Amino acid sequence: MIRWVLFVFLVLYIIVPMLMPVIFSFSVFWQDILPQGFTLRWYEAILTRPANYEALMVSLIVASSAVLLNILITVPAAYALNRMGSKWGQRLREGAIILPLVFPPLVVGTALLQAFTRPPLALTGTLWMVIIAHAILGFPFMFRIVLAAFQTIDERTLSEAAASLGANLWQRMRYVLIPNVLPGILSGALLVFAISMGEFEVTSMVAGFTAQTLPLRLFQQIRNDMRVASAITAFLIYVSFLSFILMTYLGTRMRRLQAT
Amino acid sequence: MPDTTVTAVRKPVARWWEVRQLTALLRAEVLLLLPFVVFLGLFEVYPLVNMGIRSLFDQDGAFTIQNYVNVFTKPQFRTAIRNSLLFASAASLVGGIGGTFVAALAVRLPPRWRNFLLSLYALPMTLSGLVVAFAFIVLLGRNGVLNLIVRRIFALPPTVYFNLYDWPGIVMVYAFFQIPLMTLSMAAVFENLDPSLIEAARNLGARPWQVWRYVVIPVLLPGFLAGMSIQFAGMMGAFGTVLALVGMAKNLLSLQIYSHASESTYNLPQAGALSIVLIAITATALALLSWGARRLARRAA
Repeated sequence: MIRWVLFVFLVLYIIVPMLMPVIFSFSVFWQDILPQGFTLRWYEAILTRPANYEALMVSLIVASSAVLLNILITVPAAYALNRMGSKWGQRLREGAIILPLVFPPLVVGTALLQAFTRPPLALTGTLWMVIIAHAILGFPFMFRIVLAAFQTIDERTLSEAAASLGANLWQRMRYVLIPNVLPGILSGALLVFAISMGEFEVTSMVAGFTAQTLPLRLFQQIRNDMRVASAITAFLIYVSFLSFILMTYLGTRMRRLQAT
Repeated sequence: MPDTTVTAVRKPVARWWEVRQLTALLRAEVLLLLPFVVFLGLFEVYPLVNMGIRSLFDQDGAFTIQNYVNVFTKPQFRTAIRNSLLFASAASLVGGIGGTFVAALAVRLPPRWRNFLLSLYALPMTLSGLVVAFAFIVLLGRNGVLNLIVRRIFALPPTVYFNLYDWPGIVMVYAFFQIPLMTLSMAAVFENLDPSLIEAARNLGARPWQVWRYVVIPVLLPGFLAGMSIQFAGMMGAFGTVLALVGMAKNLLSLQIYSHASESTYNLPQAGALSIVLIAITATALALLSWGARRLARRAA
């Protein structure tokens, strides 16, 4: 009995704080204990005010680009490292866990900020810098998930079986390997996307004025207009929530694949 | 005798083929590793090395160790380091103990509800620090919902409220990230705890405290320490939520780096030196915790 009381309490511990901005964003005003009225005006403000809308677009572009960059970097590398033997893979996976701990986003931001100020790579303050920073921050998560996907499918046996049936490298990739690791790649992509959409710390260091993302806009609005801030906050919660539902779904599918 | 000569002749041939295959394979793999190496080298390794070198020069480009001397002599930085150590330790302890407790409960639930709880506790990982700051301002700010409710129930004056904007409040908000993070690491550890081990200890006549002291804790502690190092490292570098809650009103090492890197007190070599000190502190803490975990694991085995 007490176990279930605790369970409900623990569920509420996560749900209640997450519901606050959501309720706030749908109410006309909320000064007392209960919110008053229902409105979609604050969401409308995201789409109709140019500064908000642009920030939304910048965030979507940055997050998608960071995901693409990570796919291009991690998938070939994970394939190669998995072939080079499990010892290397294991060590690099541990490295990927430790890397963001020793070099936290704050430090990476400080370093990136001063590394690319001069031509040919004068990137600081541009959209490129934000994309690169987000790709670097998402990389350890992506790398771990994709490498784990390659390790669990027993890539070598599959490839050899496919090769013995006459499949060339391209066919092996297209019909055997990619479909098998796809749930892993998609999970990693969703995680990187969600992290990028909400990233504030490093972005505010490297972005300058040209690339204002949604969280940067939110930071201003917390001081200026709590109601628009609530809509942006709620939107970011939806993004995290949706990515997690999809990732959980992919996770169960991956487990089912392994079981069969 | 003839057999051995045959194999002795054959083996190098086979090896030679293997070597050629291996080099061909390696060449393809090096090519596949290229984007990975170039990207990380250019955008992670080079900036960090560059930052370390630049921290040894002043803003006019003359060699100096003044930036490091500043870190340990200027009262503002010394307070920042002390505050950061205290804050990171406090937040890690709250997260570590809270998360262990949640994980212990989770593994006792039926699988369906356990998976639900663990999925839910994975959610904060991607949440923006600003989102969580906003949520807690609405919930527990000066006129936050919970403060209003408590005030109404006990008929208290408006001067009474839970202060979200001081250290305990900040630690509590960060617990929203830290407890779930620890829950996920400890859930895996608890699942490795073999119930038959406890059963065996009980059958051999161990008292409850002896079961804990000699069976449960030695199995859990290495995982617990690993989780704690993630907690501590994360908290040393955290600043987004604090910035959203109190601005620069609190003095933390992370906030000092942030303000020297991007605000009015702009001084990049100083920010670099502070970053290197932050890395050193975190790395030392991680090394100590992993050394402790390894020693414990050896003693348990």
